[in-house]
Amino acid sequence: MNAVDGSDHYNKTSDGKWHPQPPPSLLTIILDTNPHAWALLSSTLPLSVAIANLLVFINAHLAFNNSNKVAIIASHTQRAEFLYPIPSQGDLVQANGSTHNGAQHGLDGNEAPTADDANHYRPFRHIQTTLLSAISKLYKATTPESLTPTTSIAGALTLALTYINKQSIALSSTTSSKTNADPLVVPSDPNSVQPATLNPRILILSVSGDLAHQYIPIMNTIFACQRLTIPIDICKIAGDSVFLQQASDATHGTYIALTHPRGLLQYFMLGFLPDQSSRKYLVSPTAVGVDFRAACFCHRKVVDVGFVCSICLSIFCSPPEGAECLTCGTHLRLGEYGGKPAVLAKRKKKRKKGTDE
Amino acid sequence: MSASSLRSFEYLEGLPGTTFNRLYKQPSTALAIFRRMLPHLAKSFVMALLYISHPMPVTDLEAWVRPDGRRERDNAVNLLERLHILAAASNPGKPRAYALTNPFAASLRLALTGGGNHNSFGVPYNMTEEESMSIAELDGFARRQWEGVLGYMVGSTGMNVASDGVTLSQGVKMLLASGGLVEVRGRTVEITKDGFAFILQEVNAQVWTMLILYLQNAESLNMDEVDVLAFLFMLGSLELGLPYSKANLSQTQTNMLEDLGDFGIVYQASPDSSYFYPTRLATTLTSDAGGLRSSSLASSGDSSRGFIVIETNYRVYAYTSSNLQIAILQLFARLITRYPNMVAGKVTRESIRRAVSMGITSDQIISYLTTHAHPQMAKNQPVLPPTVVDQIRLWQLEGDRMKATVGFLFKDFNTQAEFEAPCRYAEEIGVLVWKHEGQRKFFVTRHEQVAAYLRNKSGKGG
Repeated sequence: MNAVDGSDHYNKTSDGKWHPQPPPSLLTIILDTNPHAWALLSSTLPLSVAIANLLVFINAHLAFNNSNKVAIIASHTQRAEFLYPIPSQGDLVQANGSTHNGAQHGLDGNEAPTADDANHYRPFRHIQTTLLSAISKLYKATTPESLTPTTSIAGALTLALTYINKQSIALSSTTSSKTNADPLVVPSDPNSVQPATLNPRILILSVSGDLAHQYIPIMNTIFACQRLTIPIDICKIAGDSVFLQQASDATHGTYIALTHPRGLLQYFMLGFLPDQSSRKYLVSPTAVGVDFRAACFCHRKVVDVGFVCSICLSIFCSPPEGAECLTCGTHLRLGEYGGKPAVLAKRKKKRKKGTDE
Repeated sequence: MSASSLRSFEYLEGLPGTTFNRLYKQPSTALAIFRRMLPHLAKSFVMALLYISHPMPVTDLEAWVRPDGRRERDNAVNLLERLHILAAASNPGKPRAYALTNPFAASLRLALTGGGNHNSFGVPYNMTEEESMSIAELDGFARRQWEGVLGYMVGSTGMNVASDGVTLSQGVKMLLASGGLVEVRGRTVEITKDGFAFILQEVNAQVWTMLILYLQNAESLNMDEVDVLAFLFMLGSLELGLPYSKANLSQTQTNMLEDLGDFGIVYQASPDSSYFYPTRLATTLTSDAGGLRSSSLASSGDSSRGFIVIETNYRVYAYTSSNLQIAILQLFARLITRYPNMVAGKVTRESIRRAVSMGITSDQIISYLTTHAHPQMAKNQPVLPPTVVDQIRLWQLEGDRMKATVGFLFKDFNTQAEFEAPCRYAEEIGVLVWKHEGQRKFFVTRHEQVAAYLRNKSGKGG
């Protein structure tokens, strides 16, 4: 019946007329704030310079569209924390109960009385002051004991996903209806949220490597993003990041490994600023050779070749003890394990034959 | 592009290059034009070029865009050049390269980073708590004033619209008349076709239409165009619910505040007070239309944005108690019953024909219904029932059966032969539109050749 339904052209004309602006985009930035890694970078790109560049980038993102939104999450050594917007006290209280309206109110309502300046666009200045104070607070709270060479990317990604979910629910409820007093409006159902109402994306500024011990949570967030069609952009300033490459590849995000860290802003402006609607028309930089290696579940080592449980697909670097899967407990039979050298020997023979002839 | 930005575009593009140079000196203007006027892809281009020290070769830009996005790319580049934002420089020995023009790029950078001493984002005014206005109060003020303007226009159709005690200043009435939205005949005011089109637009588009009328009138009031435009763009960057100081405004801009107050775009307690509030109408000037539509201004009385339900049987239900909205609805629908919070009616052939005869087009009616669709209706895809949309269009087409052609009538031929010869000649050269053998008349689009033919013939004959 759809073939004879002539309503297509109404959609087209109405789209052309009534939705001229692409939907607002929500940019969630995950800033790796590991002090170790930034200390190593201090000669080429100090943290202060990086944050100054980041602020210009955020402002440029907000300048794109009046309703564009931004969130910044610090992925610190042992925890992940919101840098902007900062959840207020009221929000924390309400977090236990129904948070639906409280979140919006709490996140916007923490306006600090800042020195007024007519030379700075107000929303831009608001973000600048909030972000800077949050970062200094974060570093003051960091003790030498809590320093590790790693960063909690998985936690930050999870926070980002929850924030994106909250925002898209808030947006769809404001666009469809505000009041329930209206006789025809039924309370909006969170399941009916259409992803088209908000264009979310995640940008990770990565400086530290060694994420293997977070392999499982990271992969879970990546698959969640893939399902929700949220691209994860990676800006790799330093460090090694096997899984982040996979993240951008799986979610069709942009992957840039900085070769000239001083030009950070230009990388931002050219590579990361265009949102999904402009990326349709642009050639975006992606990683060429993606490292698809996985980490084993037993020792968190990145492995090229490993053992996979035939029941739950868990990965192991060596056969688990007692041949029992650590995840599902299935007793695995290794079969002709150990035949590997024999295979190699055969190959050698073949080669020999080849060289002989 | 929405209708409103199209309109402001046309106006802006007509400005000379020097005006642009002066306009772009203000960071707030650069930011507002960037945000409001540019298509999405053009914004990406501007941002990519903003912090590059050397011009970007044309080929590089072309390589950045996918082959299937070429049309969008050309559109974007074209528009940027017309707005004097992008310039292609071709130095001898180097490939053609794009660069942003300077006052614009410098201003946009300033807007993004802050700093400078331009005060173009408004100087906030410090005041005590009890004096300040709440956002709800400002919204109420803006709505009252704006509906006063609309009510003044619609009220002239003879439908009783209570104006809620809003008295329009002489300036506003003059502006409406000079813009051709209403015609003043003695003491009565009649709305024109343009006026109807204006009424059925979205609020944001209406505000822009009005402001551009104001701009066009600005010169006759000895106001500097650039000053006026820069102030409008600054208003767009202010924050709702905050008072701003008038101290550093130019004389022109202080005068403007008074006029804008009549429209409900800004609020000031009295003309002498030293601060003003921007209302929602002002702060959404440079945002996308969607931001405004979700605000409470789009519909009146109730807080949800849409209130109209139209069914496939042409019945219309409008959840509103506003006289203005009912009067607008009455322009094209036959209202049958009125309840405290709702009116019910029907779109009929007669009601649409009447609207068309007043100069309202079917597209305007359809766009009005779509923008004001009830949230429950707005979930449908397409929003309006296709049968209704088709029928409204068909009802309009009914009236378009006649086609006027400008031309010349030849008549009063003495004999049939005398009539036939020039008639055949006119047909041969393809100018004949209509002929009637019995009455010996024919109608042509151009008369010169036929007249020469007749002259020749009569010259030969006599």
